[in-house]
Amino acid sequence: MRPEAGERDDAVLLRAVARGDEGALAALYDRHAAWLTVRLARRCAIPDVVDYAVQDTFLAVWREAGAYRGGGDVAAFIWGIGIRRLIDAIRRENGPRRLRWRAAEPETVVSAEDQVLAGIEHGRLGQALGGLSPELRGALEATVLDGLTCAEAAVLLGVAEGTVKSRCHRARVALRAALAGQQSGPGTAAYHQEAWEII
Amino acid sequence: MTSSFPGAAGPAAGAAWHAGEDLLASYAARTAGAVADWSVETHLTGCASCRSALSAHVDAERLARNRSALLVRAAIGEGGRVRRLLRRCGVPDHVLTLLAATPSLRASWLLSVMAVVAVVALEAAALGYGWIPGGGPVAGHPGPAALAPFLLVAPLLVLAGVAAAFLPVFDPAWRLAAAAPFSGFTLLLVRAVCALAAALVPVTGVAFVLPGPGWLPVALLLPSLALSAFALASATIMDPRAAAVTTAALWALPVLWLASADVPLLIVAPAAQVACAAVLCACAVVLCLRRDRFELGWMR
Amino acid sequence: MTLNVSTAAVRVDGLSRRYGAIRALDAVDLTLERGITGLLGPNGAGKTTLLSILATISEPDTGRVSVLGLDPRDGTERLEIRRRLGYLPQELRYHRHFTVTAFLDYVAILKEITDRRRRAEEVARVLAVTGLEDRARSRIRTLSGGMRRRLGIAQALLGGPELLILDEPTAGLDPEQRLRFRELLSGLPGDPAIVLSTHQADDIAAICPQVVVLLQGRVQFAGTPAGLAGTAAGRVWAADERDSRAHLSWRGGDGRWRHIGEHCPAGAELVTPTVEDGYLLLSHAAGAR
Repeated sequence: MRPEAGERDDAVLLRAVARGDEGALAALYDRHAAWLTVRLARRCAIPDVVDYAVQDTFLAVWREAGAYRGGGDVAAFIWGIGIRRLIDAIRRENGPRRLRWRAAEPETVVSAEDQVLAGIEHGRLGQALGGLSPELRGALEATVLDGLTCAEAAVLLGVAEGTVKSRCHRARVALRAALAGQQSGPGTAAYHQEAWEII
Repeated sequence: MTSSFPGAAGPAAGAAWHAGEDLLASYAARTAGAVADWSVETHLTGCASCRSALSAHVDAERLARNRSALLVRAAIGEGGRVRRLLRRCGVPDHVLTLLAATPSLRASWLLSVMAVVAVVALEAAALGYGWIPGGGPVAGHPGPAALAPFLLVAPLLVLAGVAAAFLPVFDPAWRLAAAAPFSGFTLLLVRAVCALAAALVPVTGVAFVLPGPGWLPVALLLPSLALSAFALASATIMDPRAAAVTTAALWALPVLWLASADVPLLIVAPAAQVACAAVLCACAVVLCLRRDRFELGWMR
Repeated sequence: MTLNVSTAAVRVDGLSRRYGAIRALDAVDLTLERGITGLLGPNGAGKTTLLSILATISEPDTGRVSVLGLDPRDGTERLEIRRRLGYLPQELRYHRHFTVTAFLDYVAILKEITDRRRRAEEVARVLAVTGLEDRARSRIRTLSGGMRRRLGIAQALLGGPELLILDEPTAGLDPEQRLRFRELLSGLPGDPAIVLSTHQADDIAAICPQVVVLLQGRVQFAGTPAGLAGTAAGRVWAADERDSRAHLSWRGGDGRWRHIGEHCPAGAELVTPTVEDGYLLLSHAAGAR
């Protein structure tokens, strides 16, 4: 069992940053930059843009640490800032040119056994999601997982806003269809509820 | 915190799920596939230990590079309110930094200018409005001598601001600017124009409240511009300090002479305005033609 | 732009410069190869004049200059030289209100790094190389002399120059600071060509594989430090008592007298000359002229 790294410490650090403690900013960076870099890199294929977005994020945290109200994870707070900085960076770099959302999605085949071994709890929702096409999944990820508005998702994905809306709709329809067509299993009720919340 | 895909079957309820090392490694390497990515990302938002475990799989050199750049940018900061406002108006950030290094745009300089202007204006007002005897026989129509100090000082203050933009003595690191590729002429022009504008504000503002002809504030514009242009243009021909002093003398002497003849306002009379406009145009041309001199540094 | 196949970092032909009646440089011919070159000479010998001409902030009266294969008289080439140059002037003074980071940011802009983020990365890099990270937020006026010198090197390193021109970088530093400065110079990334001026011979001996001795505006020697020491071979001797036939004599730390003279007396105890001995001999000869 891995020991918890102290989530409350993040809130303390953030308050120190709000007071202008540069060491706290560095400590916050040391804790959060790695996952932020990877997560942003998954959404933008250009390393320079990701680097600048990461820097801009922590600079924004440096300026706006006072805006954190203490509700919710600090990581979620940082992500909220980070994804919007990435979108700003994309807008700046982009101009009329569209960025590819990510490099060509790698052709990985993770066998069922590997999934179980890796502890991935896919369940049926996971399988249903896996059955979606990348574009639909991407639109859903941007709006659901990243919490973006359709306009912001449009910049991130490099498509028109209307396209994002229609893709989200089609994704939800496809998911409902996939889940409805599956058999019930143990623990279905709880898991269906969470699934419907997402959809 | 469990993954976002609660499985029908899985480990005993209550046991927390964490992302294994292999999963984190493949997530960082982007070989895990979209569904696993989604799962991991949702989990990481709430699990600090997995977040720190992920660090081992991210390029340390890249993280360090961004870290030091971040700290430098935090140290430089966003600047004061004026700077943020100007940046939002579209002024490029590097221009703002160059301006920040100009002595005649610093608060201390501008405050000194305002102090001098205030003193001179007070004196003119005191004489003109009759607060103290002498200078004006009729209140509201002061004798012209009251305005002479102001007419002398105001354009010279503007000239001083512009001179501080190009005199090496005001830029402690002028040799660095001289040896650097950034265009010396552009640097000079940016600084001079801003210093000009910054100095004109208090000068013309005060001119509005002084006793005297209503067109006084406007009448000061052309002489100030002409003097500044003359100083810059002659700096391409002679030593910059000599240029600044000569220009100042070329204004001071006529003003003093006219003041002694009790007609100081002639210096801003229409005829003089035309002369100033002509000087301004001529000097602008000279400046453009000889701007290469500013690329060479000041060691003559 | 002419294609220049030479590997020399700097080439100077017949360079002359005068200020009024004073001839700062008199028909100087020089070729400086890559690597570190020391310019040795007393104050007023013309070192600063020469370096400022190489740094393109001053023009010679006569003669031709070639820096990194480019001609500073041509506007475009001069600009290109400046892009590849790092310059530390003598007695560099700083704006009073600047912090270390803000100053480096300013110089980075002068070096045409207009993008804010690239600038931050470059500033962070030179702060790391010169070991000034801890003082990044300090105001310059709170820095010691040695740190200000390091800051001067840091600003010269911005943009990764191919040629570094350092005017008296070790002046006023104590021996420990000078040692750290030497370490810094020998470990610079990118391996730029370095020209530095000094009036201390032991700086030359410690770090410069090439040395040029400049006296009264003329090149009196150009070669290696060993060569410079060698010019005093057979002309340096030690004795227990002061010898009036020597040009220069002084008492060493061991209590014995060291003499330098044009003609060593017969039977005198010769000692191995140092770089400083060679330099002193040349100075004396130049002064006698």
